[in-house]
Amino acid sequence: MFREKQNIDARIWHEVQQIDLDRRRVHVENRETGRKAWEPFDQLLIATGAIPFRPDVDGADAGGIYGLSSLESGIRVRRAVDEGEPKRAVIVGGGYIGLEMAEALLRRGLEVSLVEMLPQVMGTLDPDMGALVSQAVRNAGGQLYLEERLQAFEVQDGQVRGVVTDKRTLPTDMVILGMGVRPNSALAQEAGIPVGVQGAIKTNQRQQTEVAGVWSAGDCAESFHLVSRQPFYVALGTVANKQGRVAGINLGGGYATFPGVVGTAVSKICDVEVARTGLQEKEIESLGLEYVSAKIESRTRAHYYPGAGSITVKVLAEKGSGKLLGGQIVGIEGAAKRIDVLATALHAGFSVDEMIHLDLSYAPPYAPVWDPVLIAIRQVMKKV
Amino acid sequence: MSNERLVVIGGDAAGMSAASQARKRRPDLEIVAFERGPHTSYAA
Repeated sequence: MFREKQNIDARIWHEVQQIDLDRRRVHVENRETGRKAWEPFDQLLIATGAIPFRPDVDGADAGGIYGLSSLESGIRVRRAVDEGEPKRAVIVGGGYIGLEMAEALLRRGLEVSLVEMLPQVMGTLDPDMGALVSQAVRNAGGQLYLEERLQAFEVQDGQVRGVVTDKRTLPTDMVILGMGVRPNSALAQEAGIPVGVQGAIKTNQRQQTEVAGVWSAGDCAESFHLVSRQPFYVALGTVANKQGRVAGINLGGGYATFPGVVGTAVSKICDVEVARTGLQEKEIESLGLEYVSAKIESRTRAHYYPGAGSITVKVLAEKGSGKLLGGQIVGIEGAAKRIDVLATALHAGFSVDEMIHLDLSYAPPYAPVWDPVLIAIRQVMKKV
Repeated sequence: MSNERLVVIGGDAAGMSAASQARKRRPDLEIVAFERGPHTSYAA
């Protein structure tokens, strides 16, 4: 294994239970033997990730209720479907975990219900774009229960048998929790390492915490939003890799910085791709900015080319300056990765009039002559 | 044991990316990563 080639002593089944900053050591339990020991460090990197939010309701500790946060937790769900042969599943939460699990379980032939407390799935999209995704869940065969709040789980012989909301009880054989994650920062907080947004560990751009010789990266660490210019929390593998790389370069005696994120994310539910970047309407409003938006429907390929299908693009720009603030895309295959053009423009700080003549690729199999992203930019420009 | 010692808590994407990068630059650094689960990163 390349870990061995790299001479990194990676010890699985070892849980760090305490950080002792005064004596520069961590207390580690070997979970296979139960043996505990103090291990010294000169430099410490905290990369403890995120933990799925578990609701504090009756029956929440019953069997058959699954959170998803690690390879192991995914394997457990797969095993439950393979061996338990469940017929029905209820997913609580309509974010990307909820959507992607809905797709996976529908493909396995289960009856899938999704419960979401907001009026839409994908709360990181504006309501009009979220509505398209809600429709996609229904079109894929999922039962959607919006504006319903989880109240309890019905349990029989230690196994979950139903999901109780404020409007109904949904009988089920298994439950998937997709209610979001929070930074796994308890260990750091107990040691007195400062945390910020949602309890994520504060770092500078080199991934150093406020304690000398202690670093943090990944889903337990805070990030910085380059559009809102405020501290931000995001739990995504792509950000974790980048922050980890930066921390590692610095720990190795080099110099690297991670400037921040623009809030880019993609997901899908069966045939429908979903993407977002930057700020959504409610975030812009909370910053007190004035904005304009445009939403257009176009095609993923030239209209006469086989396989062309619908794509809806929404863009948001600051009124007056025309600075791009965000974008959202919902559409068939080929739609989602177009978000990267908008994400790059956000990094560059482009205004929409600087984007209008971007030399984006065109040939009939890939786009109409005006790419849907540029059609939306043209429309929003008229309102700036 | 006079080498400098880096301890990494968590063997997933961030932890193992960092460990790899640090190793490339510092062959002499002692690196130990503690992972409470059965796997280190599968994607980093």
